[in-house]
Amino acid sequence: MSSTSQKHRNFVAEPMGEKPVTDLAGVGEVLGKRLDTAGFDKAYVVLGQFLVLKKDKELFQEWMKETCSANSKQSADCYQCLKDWCDEFL
Amino acid sequence: MADQVDSMSDAELRTKLAEHGFPIMPITASTRNLLVKKLKLVLDNKSKPRNSVDSKVENRRSLARYSSGEESDLDTTSNVKEKRGRRATTGGAMLPPVNKAKRQPVKKGSPVKQDSDKGSESEEDKPPVRTHEEVETVTTRRVTRTYATNDQDDYETGSDSDVDTGKKTSSPFRSNSRSSDYISSTLPTVDAATSPPKTSLFSRPSISPGFSSTLSSSDHLNSIRSRLGLTSTLGDKPSVSSYKPSFPSSSYQASTDEVESPYLSNFTRRLSALKNEQKPMSYVDRDTNNGSTILSRRSYITGVPRSDDYKTANDKKFLKNNLVSLALVVLVALFFFCLFFMYIVKKNDITSVVDDQNSVIPICQLNIPNNRPGINCVPKEQVSYAKDLLKVIHPELTSLAAAYKCGTPGVMPYLTEREIIDIANARAGSVDISQCRTDLNNLQVLIVNNPRWGLSVVQLKNLYTKDVDYTPIISTDIVVQQRNKGSVALALTDPSTPLSCFLINTLYSAGSTLILVGLLALLLLGLQRFYSYYMRYQKRKSEEIYSMVEQIIEVISQETEDSGEPYISVDHVRDTLISPQNREKMASVWDAAVKFIQRNESRVRMEVQSVDGEDCRVWRWISAHSSPKRNAAWQGQAFETQEGSVNNLTVSPTPCLKIRHMFDKNDTNPNLRTVIQDAILEKCGERCNILHIDIERMSCCVYVKCATPADAGVVYRSLHGWWYEGNLITVKYLHLERYMQRFPNSPSVGPYLKSSRQRRSNWEE
Repeated sequence: MSSTSQKHRNFVAEPMGEKPVTDLAGVGEVLGKRLDTAGFDKAYVVLGQFLVLKKDKELFQEWMKETCSANSKQSADCYQCLKDWCDEFL
Repeated sequence: MADQVDSMSDAELRTKLAEHGFPIMPITASTRNLLVKKLKLVLDNKSKPRNSVDSKVENRRSLARYSSGEESDLDTTSNVKEKRGRRATTGGAMLPPVNKAKRQPVKKGSPVKQDSDKGSESEEDKPPVRTHEEVETVTTRRVTRTYATNDQDDYETGSDSDVDTGKKTSSPFRSNSRSSDYISSTLPTVDAATSPPKTSLFSRPSISPGFSSTLSSSDHLNSIRSRLGLTSTLGDKPSVSSYKPSFPSSSYQASTDEVESPYLSNFTRRLSALKNEQKPMSYVDRDTNNGSTILSRRSYITGVPRSDDYKTANDKKFLKNNLVSLALVVLVALFFFCLFFMYIVKKNDITSVVDDQNSVIPICQLNIPNNRPGINCVPKEQVSYAKDLLKVIHPELTSLAAAYKCGTPGVMPYLTEREIIDIANARAGSVDISQCRTDLNNLQVLIVNNPRWGLSVVQLKNLYTKDVDYTPIISTDIVVQQRNKGSVALALTDPSTPLSCFLINTLYSAGSTLILVGLLALLLLGLQRFYSYYMRYQKRKSEEIYSMVEQIIEVISQETEDSGEPYISVDHVRDTLISPQNREKMASVWDAAVKFIQRNESRVRMEVQSVDGEDCRVWRWISAHSSPKRNAAWQGQAFETQEGSVNNLTVSPTPCLKIRHMFDKNDTNPNLRTVIQDAILEKCGERCNILHIDIERMSCCVYVKCATPADAGVVYRSLHGWWYEGNLITVKYLHLERYMQRFPNSPSVGPYLKSSRQRRSNWEE
């Protein structure tokens, strides 16, 4: 797990509460703005989508790509971040 | 097709996705778009030959999920759908029909269909096939497999009909046309250029004999006959086996083969098992067709009972042979036993020995002057009397000898003259004693002259004791001399021991030997037990003594350090360590420990001191490092950290600190954490509140968390730049988040840490 980013570790370390979507690993300023306009303003909304897609990596990455035109690294980071968070807290 | 997918309802979309192996998931406003796109992508890829996306989709489904291909197709609609989906993907060309209304436009729309249309015969047979599609799925797979494994056209159709005869439920025509349909539709994915001629070749069985030159005419006949739904005859078998060597390896069908074979081997096994139940004769055909797995299984199944039969038969046979030889052995044993028995009986039969003609009988003759009847010769008319007497006393003698051998008390193995005369009197009634006496004398002469009678005249050594001690007499002269003394007796020269006595004697001696051995073993065991117990006792004792010594030294070092007096009374130490009820019991241990300390402990010296006006033995603690440890640990400051110095931060930003170089990497002290904690707390614990101290051995860092940033500043100033055990310490502030990340369980509110020494003093109070 040493390869995970600091942002990832920070997010996974505690319940997400009301964290903004930009706190997700792989989601920066630009992607955050795009997601916000698409209605995904909080991290928990993205989590909802993640869960609706049944934690399927392929579909989630596809969705990320479609919604905020994230590249595969960004979407994979975000997926891993949510998955680890779910493993920890769900 | 694209707008068709777009206009689908949620339920339709879900069904469609499930067919293509996607997990069923809720279709919401946000996911619908995504799923529709995915489905389109898959459908597009379906129409092309397999590419990376298609294989990816295939990988999504687990093989195990679909390996239940043999379950009945009449189960549920979902099962059927799954199967169709699988066939469609592995075939790579056929679109799975969802329902009948929808299938037609889809088929028309696919470019593949045009290829399959070239197989002309299949087209006419399609309508009946469709109606039976669910049933026919199994057959189709079988056909695909045979096609994949063999390149020979005729063989393929032949084995196809084989399946039909086995299955019996499905009409051969239907399955035949079905197979051709299937093949024609799969071929374009493999080799588009060569497909048209091959398709026609496969779909028309009437042409195939012309192409296969290796087959004999009877084979054709058989294949055609079986194609027409007849049961396979015996003539089928050689034809099938003759195909075998002529198989070329199929190269262009490799991928299809790979996908199909796991299902099919499973399926064919089931099928053959089914066949085995129904029709054992055709089983052989299946074996030659289906390859090694079934062949081995069959041989296993039939092999087991056969070997069992053989085994039981062999057992019976063996018993039979054994009976004869056993009887022979028993007969021989009986024969030898009889011989032995007869020998024994013969030996004991005295009459036959006595009446033997070879006996030396000295007859008294008048013309020989030395002859004296009863001394060295016997009058002729009295020989028979003497022999009779012998016959009378011999059983007595035998029984006496046996009794003596058996150890009956008070029995002698001989008969004295007096006893013989008494016996003779008892037997013969009123026979006068002088006559008996004469007969006895004659008998003695005869016995001396005939040693082979097994009797001897003996001379008793001492008459009046019970000792059995005699010597045989070999000349008649001595007999006469001894006769006057009355110490002559008759005895058996070689008395045989009766069997029972022999057994008893043997048992007795064996038993006594056993008892002796047992006693010895017991003795040895006891010795060994005692020795081990003793060793254990010694070990325990020495362990007790060592632990006692350790306790004593601990107490001495503690007490002398705490009380300030350099010595401590021996009795006081004893009373501290041993509770009153154990004092008597532990006296020996205590004495041994005291002696041990006196001899082997250099740090403790025993001397006599006057304690409270009374002389008593005391232990003086002569420690090598008598000065307290903490003074040695903190060795002074390297640079100034107080107010106003350049090294002093005016504001302490966080309550957490990271201290470097307090210990080495190779410091293996298990109590290192406590030692470091004590060192820090004793250095600055009174002036600040520390919540948590921990060490990390890998990076040689000590982490300190204080109650407030001000406390951290105190710690910083009192530790930074100090020498600790030869190392210069550096202290840095650490973000609280970092600290919490590293030690999530560290406390954030009091109680504050205290050094172990302080804690101890608290307890004592």
